Amino acid sequence: MFPSLSDLLIRPERFFAARAAEAPDFRIPAIIVLCGAAISAAAAFMMSDLYAQMFAGAAIGGMGTFLGAISAVSAFVGFIIIWWLVMAGVFFLISMVFDGKGAFQRTLVNVGYGLLPLVIGSVFTLALTLYYMPRVVVPSVRNLQDPSAIQQAILGLMHDPAMREFTQISGIITIIFLIWAANIWIFGVRQARELTLRNAAITVLIPVVISIAYTVFTLVFGVPVPGGT
Amino acid sequence: MRLGLLALSFLLAILCLVLPASGADQAQSAAAQVTVTAVTLDPEVFIAGDTGTITVEVMNNGSQSVAVRRATLVDPDIRVLSQAYDTSMYLGAGNSMRFTFTVMADVPEGIYYPAFSLDFRDAGYLRYPVKLQVQDQRLEVSVLDKPETFSAGKKDTVDILVGNPRDNAVNGVVVYAAGEGIDATPTSYFIGMLPVDGSQKVSFSVTPRRSTTLEIHVDYKNGLNAHSEVVRIPVVIGESKLQADPILSNIQVNLEAGTYTITGDVTNAGLEVANAVVITSGPGTVPTDPYQSYVVGSLKPDDFSSFEITFTAENATSVPVLATYKDNDGNLYTRQTLIGIPASGSAARQEAGSSLPVLALVVVLAAVTGAVIWYSWRKR
Repeated sequence: MFPSLSDLLIRPERFFAARAAEAPDFRIPAIIVLCGAAISAAAAFMMSDLYAQMFAGAAIGGMGTFLGAISAVSAFVGFIIIWWLVMAGVFFLISMVFDGKGAFQRTLVNVGYGLLPLVIGSVFTLALTLYYMPRVVVPSVRNLQDPSAIQQAILGLMHDPAMREFTQISGIITIIFLIWAANIWIFGVRQARELTLRNAAITVLIPVVISIAYTVFTLVFGVPVPGGT
Repeated sequence: MRLGLLALSFLLAILCLVLPASGADQAQSAAAQVTVTAVTLDPEVFIAGDTGTITVEVMNNGSQSVAVRRATLVDPDIRVLSQAYDTSMYLGAGNSMRFTFTVMADVPEGIYYPAFSLDFRDAGYLRYPVKLQVQDQRLEVSVLDKPETFSAGKKDTVDILVGNPRDNAVNGVVVYAAGEGIDATPTSYFIGMLPVDGSQKVSFSVTPRRSTTLEIHVDYKNGLNAHSEVVRIPVVIGESKLQADPILSNIQVNLEAGTYTITGDVTNAGLEVANAVVITSGPGTVPTDPYQSYVVGSLKPDDFSSFEITFTAENATSVPVLATYKDNDGNLYTRQTLIGIPASGSAARQEAGSSLPVLALVVVLAAVTGAVIWYSWRKR
């Protein structure tokens, strides 16, 4: 019996082992990645509304739409590049240390499959965005010529209680599903690069731990704002 | 011969009897030509207790001089302070003579007739009643206008009218204001003579420092006699009904990065000009740039102007906004208006922190993820 996506989530080793004999198929991984990118784009679009409100006082027509479009496109492309291409590339490079043998396409396909938990996590994050955004008190910038006013407004938005809680919870959810994805990636990279389970775990956990550490850092110390304190 | 001597003696006797009788007649007729031509009173009308003079002028209209022995003024009520004229003198033909008497009218109000008496040496006497009026009516001091309520340190105008209801003019009228804790300008006002039924308006700028009594004094003279009238005006320090009253309206509150911005209109709902109007946030707030305070400037009655202030406030649901202004005398006034503001910190934090279901969801997701990972390794 051909393994399903549920097997991917709870029995990833069996899932990738069943597909190891087949040629790499990008269709399902691409759908997963595109879904994740679309959800991230939607969340970014909603988030950009906060910034549009922030600059509404400056009476710049179309600023909200422009910001939304930029944010959505950036999130869409960013999800594809960072979570799929970059992660696959990093896994491929690290696995070379352990004499990994498989082709990059296989790694790319398996990393794409492994993004399914992050897509699920993005759904939850999107729901949280809908929950928290109306609660955020958005500062407004009236004068775009005043950098200190813009900086103060951004700091105010970051320090808004609802915004901070949203950032923390969404960060924790991202970490949870990233750990789940890492678990899938370990078996995917092992199959794709013909590594031992230990070496595959090291290959995956190095960038994942760095990513988690960065996320925890931003949760604790916040996102640095240029010129901010 | 003897008969002739008797006839001569008889004739001489007749002459002796007749000649003196004809001299007395001449003196009588000459005295009859002496008349009172003028009576002068100073003051013209006395106030009870006043001292003054009565001058009587007599004139000899005849062709013969008249010997005067004594001139007196007598009255049972009016006291004559001066001595009588006891020196004999002659009042020549066509001449006049004045007799002045000092009197004191220490009597009730009324009309009196002290009698002027001029005794002739060779004839009878001239008796002339002099009309002397005693009137107790004093100058009338009226307060034409004054503020119903005074303000401490604020200059207000009090208008006074001094009227003379007496039947004679008074002179040397001086009006001045006095009272503890009161500065008044001018310090005094000299009116001078106030004619019969005449009046004079006087305005004082009064600046009280506390609740007190304003005294308006009117000093004047009736002849030689000094008199004074006083009107007392209670000065109650309070809020003037006319003073400027800046009202804040059309209020909009914005929260920007923890900084509140309040915009609105300030309207002078009072009846006086509000000068140097400044809007700022009150106690419990920290004014911040760019509008720590907003200088509106001068607001005439019914004028309005927009304003904008910026400040920060912790744990506050309402803040006082102060509108300070000065009156025309530079006195500073402050009007406080409470304005509700949205919570910047604690309340919003409380609302955001009430998301227990979200935290439960996070815990569940973590548990599910942990269980899946454990399962995936266990069922390899």
